[in-house]
Amino acid sequence: MSGAFPPGRSTSFFRYNRFLIMGEFLFRAALILYIIGVIHSAAAFVTKRIALVKVALAVVTAAFVFHTLFLVYRGVEKSFFPPVGLRDSLAFFAWAVTLCLLIAYARYRVRALGLFLLPLVTVLLLSTVFIKNSPIPEMLRSSWVYFHSTLLLLAYGMLFVAFVAAVLYLFQEKELKSKRLETFFDRLPSLQTLDELFQRFLLWGFFFMTAGLVVGTVWAEQQWEEGWHGDPKVIAASVTWGIYLILLYLRLTAGWRGKRAALMSLAGFLSILFTLLGVGYFGGLHKF
Amino acid sequence: MESVLVGLNHKTAPIQIRERVSFSAESLPRALDELRRRFGAREAMILSTCNRVEVLGVGLTPDPDGAELKRFLSEFHGLEPDALNGHLYRYTGDELVRHVFRVASSLDSMVIGEAQILGQMKEAFRYSEEFGSAGSFLRRLMQHSLFVAKRVRNETQVGHSSVSVASVAVELAVKIFGSLRRRTVLLLGAGKMAELAARGLLKAGAEQLRVANRTRNRAEELAARFEAEVGDFLRLEKEVATADVVVCSTGASGYVIDPGMMERVVRARRFEPIFLIDITVPRNIDPAVNEIETVFLYDIDDLQHVADNNLQGRQEEADLAEGIVEEELRNFRLCSRTQELGPLIGSLRRRLEELCLAELEREGGHFSPEDRSTLERMLRRTAHRVAHPLISQMKETCRGSLPHVNPLEFLAEAFDLPEPERKPRK
Repeated sequence: MSGAFPPGRSTSFFRYNRFLIMGEFLFRAALILYIIGVIHSAAAFVTKRIALVKVALAVVTAAFVFHTLFLVYRGVEKSFFPPVGLRDSLAFFAWAVTLCLLIAYARYRVRALGLFLLPLVTVLLLSTVFIKNSPIPEMLRSSWVYFHSTLLLLAYGMLFVAFVAAVLYLFQEKELKSKRLETFFDRLPSLQTLDELFQRFLLWGFFFMTAGLVVGTVWAEQQWEEGWHGDPKVIAASVTWGIYLILLYLRLTAGWRGKRAALMSLAGFLSILFTLLGVGYFGGLHKF
Repeated sequence: MESVLVGLNHKTAPIQIRERVSFSAESLPRALDELRRRFGAREAMILSTCNRVEVLGVGLTPDPDGAELKRFLSEFHGLEPDALNGHLYRYTGDELVRHVFRVASSLDSMVIGEAQILGQMKEAFRYSEEFGSAGSFLRRLMQHSLFVAKRVRNETQVGHSSVSVASVAVELAVKIFGSLRRRTVLLLGAGKMAELAARGLLKAGAEQLRVANRTRNRAEELAARFEAEVGDFLRLEKEVATADVVVCSTGASGYVIDPGMMERVVRARRFEPIFLIDITVPRNIDPAVNEIETVFLYDIDDLQHVADNNLQGRQEEADLAEGIVEEELRNFRLCSRTQELGPLIGSLRRRLEELCLAELEREGGHFSPEDRSTLERMLRRTAHRVAHPLISQMKETCRGSLPHVNPLEFLAEAFDLPEPERKPRK
């Protein structure tokens, strides 16, 4: 990984080089540890051995530490907090997913989640190698923007975990209904746990998303007064927010779970992906 | 004197046929009487449960091969003469004894290892005795059957299967609800298996148990035993809606819970999952209910299926039990010629068991209950293993095939000791 390093950051070429190597090291260490984590999670899932889960967890925790250090490094390198621009956004999103994974394990002892989340984390992190960060407009170098994107990316991480929990619920439910308890019964937690996981991450994700959007709106109002409403990313984010609002409403009032929750969650998450990745093609204020 | 057994069970006949030939407590005396007078049975016994109907007759005069008993079954219930064709099995001699042993030790049951059948068998025998239809053969057969059943229960895991069905129910409940704390169990009707399941759920932490029954008295009696609350059977839908796990075992012949009702229940529960366990045959809960979202319905076959898949080494246990049956069959055959040996054999077995178990008593303080029961089974098995050759030898001796052996030779023969150890024959 070789970033476009802002000139003038370092006075001595030697220090500059050391600094660069450290970034490389942190990134690679995180990536390799994630890959080891994926392999162990898969092995644990297949063999149902708890010892393997423990190994996977230790490895992922280590990966998470390196990942965190790497993000800090990027912050120092660019002299502001990372998640602006696609490349850093994805790295941060992957970090948020791992954070959720670790929280989910600490809180609910869900062992199987790693297998379903870590591959995405790994791929996201790997993909950042191939993406070039475009320079960020000077105007966006505001603490409002950092909050805006940080909150939203954290929210997306949580909502992704909620989506995975909903899908796992669906798997477990299917198996319990069909009475052929072969694949998931022993490997996935109880329906109740998955349901709680879903609801918690949905609620928190929605809360963070709302906060992120509010911050963005306030800032945009200050900056432009008008004209920003028609920005494709703003529209897409509003639609995403609307989908999750409906899902949350149905969940809390009509007790939506199982298939309906999983489908709605999928719609929400696809909308997130579109907001995050797809919207760039349409140009607009968020294009960088 | 020939003995014949004719019957049908859950494997050979569908429930529609089984219902039609079953005997009630009221019709039993008349049936036994008819067997004795019209068919000339010296001894007779009728075992009628929801999964099997069996008639055992000794010394039937005109036709000892069972055609008479078949005629009796269909005539007594007013059926066409060939209505039962293809559904009946017939056993005589050793096969009959083996079959009765297997039934008594619950190896032939729908839920293998369930203990109810032994009680039902005792009951059937009690009827026979009461109406003067039990003679020396039946008495001996029953005694030995009880002994076999006891051995199978003590020495193998087969008897633990009914417990395992209940524990599967608990396991499933835990997989659905996570923890059972703050969960309510509703027990509909009564029955051993249902009680077992309810007990298991309580033990796993279920907070509340409600009991509802058609007859209020029965519900109250059960509730007192479980320290449960009595529910209202007439407002079943409401009761079901407030429960998380429903264990259903009413005596009803039709469906007590149907899809329409469950649709309403699910909506009332706001799609909170509900786990229904139907332990009765015929079923009390419409299987279509399982199609409804957030409803999980398991009937006894489903639970058994899961238990079968879960229980490791199950086949070995069954083989072990079958081995016991075969061994006892040989003993029974020998015993019939050397009846006087019976008490002696019994006390030899008991003595050996006591000796082994005393050892466990002495050293057993520091074992966990599970280890203890495993050890106990092992010790009992050992006692019987040691007793077996001695007993066969005793029987041989008694039958006169080995006259005047000296004790050392007797032992060497019994345990098949190698040649050099033997004393030369006098």
